[in-house]
Amino acid sequence: MRLPLCFFMTARSFVLSLGLLTAFVYIPAFAQPAAVKVGLIVPLSGPWARQGQVMRQGAELAIKHINTQGGIAALGGAPMELLVFDAGDSVERAKNAAQRMVADEPDLVGAAGAYLSSFTLAVTEVTERASLSMLTLSYSDLLTTRGFYYVFQTSASGAYQSTNALPILLDIATAASGARPKTIAIVMDNTAASVAFVAPIKEGSALKDNNLELVVDEVFTPPLANATSLIQRVRAARPDLLLLLPTTVSDSKLLLEKMNEFGLGRGKLPTVSNGSAMGDPDLLQNMPAALLEGVMSVVGNWSLRGQEGIIEEYKNISGEPWMTQNALSEYGHMWLLKEALELAGVADKKAVAEALHKMDISNGAASYFPGNRVRFAADGKRIDAQLLVIQWQNGVPVSVYPDATAMQKIKWPAP
Amino acid sequence: MDVVQYIENFLQSFAAGILTGVIYGLMCVGLTVIFGVMRVINFAQGEFMMLGMYFTYFMFSWLGGYPFFDGLYFPFVLALLAGPVLFGVGNLVHRGLLQKVTGQNASRLEGGGHYAQLVLTFGLALVLQNGGLWLFGSTLVSVPSELSYSAWEMGPLYQDRIIIFINQNQSIAALLALAVVLVFARYMARSRLGKSLRAAADNPEAAVYMGIDVSRAHRIAFGFGVGITAIGGGLLASNAPFQPYIGTDYVIIMYAGVVMGGLGSIRGAFLGGLSIGILQQVSASFLPNQLQNTMIFTCFLLTILLRPQGLFGLRERVA
Repeated sequence: MRLPLCFFMTARSFVLSLGLLTAFVYIPAFAQPAAVKVGLIVPLSGPWARQGQVMRQGAELAIKHINTQGGIAALGGAPMELLVFDAGDSVERAKNAAQRMVADEPDLVGAAGAYLSSFTLAVTEVTERASLSMLTLSYSDLLTTRGFYYVFQTSASGAYQSTNALPILLDIATAASGARPKTIAIVMDNTAASVAFVAPIKEGSALKDNNLELVVDEVFTPPLANATSLIQRVRAARPDLLLLLPTTVSDSKLLLEKMNEFGLGRGKLPTVSNGSAMGDPDLLQNMPAALLEGVMSVVGNWSLRGQEGIIEEYKNISGEPWMTQNALSEYGHMWLLKEALELAGVADKKAVAEALHKMDISNGAASYFPGNRVRFAADGKRIDAQLLVIQWQNGVPVSVYPDATAMQKIKWPAP
Repeated sequence: MDVVQYIENFLQSFAAGILTGVIYGLMCVGLTVIFGVMRVINFAQGEFMMLGMYFTYFMFSWLGGYPFFDGLYFPFVLALLAGPVLFGVGNLVHRGLLQKVTGQNASRLEGGGHYAQLVLTFGLALVLQNGGLWLFGSTLVSVPSELSYSAWEMGPLYQDRIIIFINQNQSIAALLALAVVLVFARYMARSRLGKSLRAAADNPEAAVYMGIDVSRAHRIAFGFGVGITAIGGGLLASNAPFQPYIGTDYVIIMYAGVVMGGLGSIRGAFLGGLSIGILQQVSASFLPNQLQNTMIFTCFLLTILLRPQGLFGLRERVA
């Protein structure tokens, strides 16, 4: 049987139409640029899992914001994809996780995280060899003294914080109480961040420059089983100022409870810490807010005036009562990687590193970091990084220094 | 530092050492019961302690808001209740898992079942840690209690100086721990069940001929060991914040205490744990704080060197 010509015409038209329709539907999908992968390596198991989870929430929120705002314009609106790696509970595991990250995901253009300085030191040994940029809020000065090209420290380093925090705190104390503190006690754990913070005080000239006498110098290995012997030394010496430097919530609880027990708590002894452990929401799960009232901490980043919108959204999606430096820094790191990709114009890790080194921004991603300007020195230190001071006031740790961006005024504990 | 101040520091550390050490001692007793009767090195002991902590925490969170259950001393009642509950859990774990690699079944396995036991208990520890992370989350928690930051003041003991603070929560916990150890030791020494457990420990074959169900004895011993350590965990739950990995911090202390005291000896394990607590705290009054654990393990190595059977491990076994 021969089919009429009009049948072939119709069939050909049908196939052609179908082809065009298919092309119309799918071409935009094919035109959508591939997602650009960035990594987040944080502890998600072990004792620091909680902090890692908070950092992950901050990074995920940033990725959501970046993608809903059109992705990376320089790459045709390519979305960013976050790949998360568990740094575990030890330096060795953190290093193994970093090795897995660079081996399994060669397409990564940058990474962030690591949490403990000791973890970050190990992770960056691996990322440096893989030419992968690593942004971190870790404080240790060692991070940027090894001649690495691919490490970017966005917070003020430990040495910078302690050198600059001490005169600021002493001035505040003098203004509030009328007397400048003359004696200081240091009770610290031996983690890299705490060691970096006290190095200029113990080994440098910070004590002499500030006319301070060091009356207690106690170092412990976390976790503490009992804080009695440490606080007993403080009680015996009666210093004017206590630098209390635990890096875990459990040690913070033990130390502050013991201070209360010995009659040194609740503002009787001005107490300054370093890092986010002393501003962690978990503290309220483990001790009453009254024991924390007035305690201060020097940090690299914290919620500041002008960030209320992000803070509220973060609180809603995470269920956290406030945004700590961990969440905020990872939020900012994702935006910095986005800025670097915009500058680089190509999804290539070496180009991203180069862009980060050349970066000098004072808006956008820069607003998530104290100092509101992001540019890096050749060693990876953020040039304009500033320290912040937070203080527990009415059950919440709020930023109290510098005045320009502080949420509240500092209240120096009255003895 | 003058002599009076030195004495105050020492007494304060010594008091803290006793309070810490008694809880360690209780945990060590749990571990030694399992080793003494079953000859099993239980790497998951720290995780059973963690379960005792979470039991106390969740029960207090659940009931603590109700009248009658909101008292200052209710967490201690819950800590004691963790014992029987975890006894049941230990029983089930033995029935489902450990029984396959211990007792008569062990003789069929390579190395007398020791390799399988080590791998099994180590695996169990990992499962409990990660299962705990999944179930309870990673948030550090503790049982809220005013007593954990309150102290009784002793003194001044000399002129206007030497005032010693005794933590109220730790003191009550230590007294309860001591009571549990004494009751348990007496029960093991006097009761029929205690005697059968000791018989199964001393000579399993002879015990079988005497009509003792050795497998049942092992099951009960494992339950006792787990339950006692869980009570220790419950008593710690107000002072020490915890997460599912907390067991790792304590299991080494438990083993050091048990070996120092003498494997398989209740009295030895308790005194071993107590010694470790005192050493840990007192050493900090004359050595840098970082050397606390060094001091513990130096004494531990000295004990192994000079008295390999442990301080009290000569004649006694589970008695």
